[in-house]
Amino acid sequence: MSERIQLGEYPRVRRIDEKHPPELRFSQKAVEELERIKQHYPTKRAAMLPALWIAQREYGGYLPPEALMEVAYRLGTSYAVVQGVATFYTMYNKRPVGRVMLEVCTNLTCSICGGYEILRYLEQKLGIKVGETTPDGQFTLMEVECLNDCGNAPVMQVGNRYFGNLTPEKIDALIEQLKQSDEHTVVQLADTIVQCHLSESERQDIERALEKAQSAREAEQDGRDG
Amino acid sequence: MAELKVLFKDIDVPGIQTLEVYEQHGGYSALRKALGMTRQQVIDEVKASGLRGRGGAGFPAWIKWNGIPKDESQPHYVQCNADEGEPGTFKDRELMMRHPHQLIEGIIIAGYATLSKMGYIYIRGEYTEPARVMRRAIDEAYRAGYLGKNILGSGVDFDLYIHMGAGSYECGEESAMMSSIMGERGQPRLKFPHAPLPTIAGLWNCPTLINNVETLSCVPAIIRNGGAWYASMGTEKSTGTKIFSVSGHVNKPGNYEVEMGTPLMELLELAGGVKGKLKAVIPGGSSVPILPAEKCDVNLDYESLQAAGTMLGSGGFMVLNDTVCIVRFMRRTAAFYAHESCGKCTPCREGTRWMVKIFDRILAGGGRMEDIDLLLDICDQIDGRSYCALGDAAAWPIRASIKHYRHEYEFFIKHGHSMVEAQRYSAAV
Repeated sequence: MSERIQLGEYPRVRRIDEKHPPELRFSQKAVEELERIKQHYPTKRAAMLPALWIAQREYGGYLPPEALMEVAYRLGTSYAVVQGVATFYTMYNKRPVGRVMLEVCTNLTCSICGGYEILRYLEQKLGIKVGETTPDGQFTLMEVECLNDCGNAPVMQVGNRYFGNLTPEKIDALIEQLKQSDEHTVVQLADTIVQCHLSESERQDIERALEKAQSAREAEQDGRDG
Repeated sequence: MAELKVLFKDIDVPGIQTLEVYEQHGGYSALRKALGMTRQQVIDEVKASGLRGRGGAGFPAWIKWNGIPKDESQPHYVQCNADEGEPGTFKDRELMMRHPHQLIEGIIIAGYATLSKMGYIYIRGEYTEPARVMRRAIDEAYRAGYLGKNILGSGVDFDLYIHMGAGSYECGEESAMMSSIMGERGQPRLKFPHAPLPTIAGLWNCPTLINNVETLSCVPAIIRNGGAWYASMGTEKSTGTKIFSVSGHVNKPGNYEVEMGTPLMELLELAGGVKGKLKAVIPGGSSVPILPAEKCDVNLDYESLQAAGTMLGSGGFMVLNDTVCIVRFMRRTAAFYAHESCGKCTPCREGTRWMVKIFDRILAGGGRMEDIDLLLDICDQIDGRSYCALGDAAAWPIRASIKHYRHEYEFFIKHGHSMVEAQRYSAAV
């Protein structure tokens, strides 16, 4: 409701196809993952959500227009279609965010169990308002709808984990811990979600393919050196 | 009456998330049994159990199962709804995190009964912890031959994929979920009778069985012990057990599995009693009408709650004590639906926003007496006029709150502040 959809700058490319490929930034791992995930569905289009998750990881935690363009190219669809999907879902970040996102639930149960107090406390502690990022780029504070862990209200989602029964003391400790660790970042959340799509054998396949590519590169390098 | 555990029977066993421990406790014996039965026998067993959909609507599960065409001219799909988003509900989270194989077994049996070769679990994007548990469990099931080609040498194939959402309440609605799996915006589709049911034309226009996590988790126990055993629990029309996610002003919030037809007050006792004085209960998630304390003398089953003017819904049981200001609480409810409305149908998209604006005016102290009727009027304009039930769900709680707590609205408008907060203030003085 309060969030206005930011359309971003529309890239000045008329069409995206084999003859007019956009700048591609997916790593080889990402390409391999997307290829495997596409096999899960009868259509390429259906891999849209996982593809956007991969893009969010590859582009450092948010989806700039170039990322949408790359997804459109890799799924053989148009920029408009990808943008339409990406702007619908709240977990795809359309603007740059901090390294770690703090998403505080203020929905019904949390609202009567102190969710707003937690949100105000975080605003004060970090010196930012809801929706803003700290100047050092560490934290983005968000207010979200029900995270469905109401038994532990008030709850906050930090990357790929929930933290419940929050108190100001717990938050102080958590913020210190998050500053020092590489866990629960925005990029890690996207990666966790991508990995959940892939079965064990697919993950092993990808590893093998990457190793093979690596040794091929090394052999080529040796050949050049020798 | 105490808890009656069917789904939660083995949930406290250490390591039940692993295949080894699950098998020691009878895991996958239902699948073996089902594979020895004909498909129709499996469906008949579900029919005999009287199992009703636990996602909110309470639709008899067997009708969906039986509605899938019995030939294989098209591929069939099973779609497990794990997009738990209904405020107040957290049962699916616990079922996935603590008992993943029970759900997987249920999905495979559903796949066998409906001739499906592929299944998708649609898990909401925020649920990465349950998704990782499910991932591990599915990998184990593949390794042991319960999933994949030629399951247990029976010639039946079934593949199960996880599909993660990306933050949308609307995607918990079955047709919006289909859109989301197919890579579109999560908006609902035209419904029966204006369009064929998903059991005829669902994912990619193929027959699709859509069931909630809790519904599918019930299946192994039903197949193992027989439908009649399941039907022997609960009431005549609401059979079996139900998990209620109790939250809010109670001493021991959490998931409690009780027999259908358990008195509401007993569930409150199980959850450690109310903190303070009970004001109201929302028995089935934010979408259902509020139940004031005076009316809480009801049994928890589909029919009794309907007779009391509310619904069982998804079992998100929120308890409010007398410190809660209903007007403020309902403003939060309205804001939730305004945020989550997908924007497809005008009455819901615009109506929910107008309701928030009216609530904001009341809360700011500028309310007018006719605002109450205006809210009711908007509720009437939304209810039944949208593709999916999100619109109805936005209208019901507001309408019920005005019905039961009109005096609080009137007080707020007249005095410009909350009746409850004024009470608290005078008590402090």
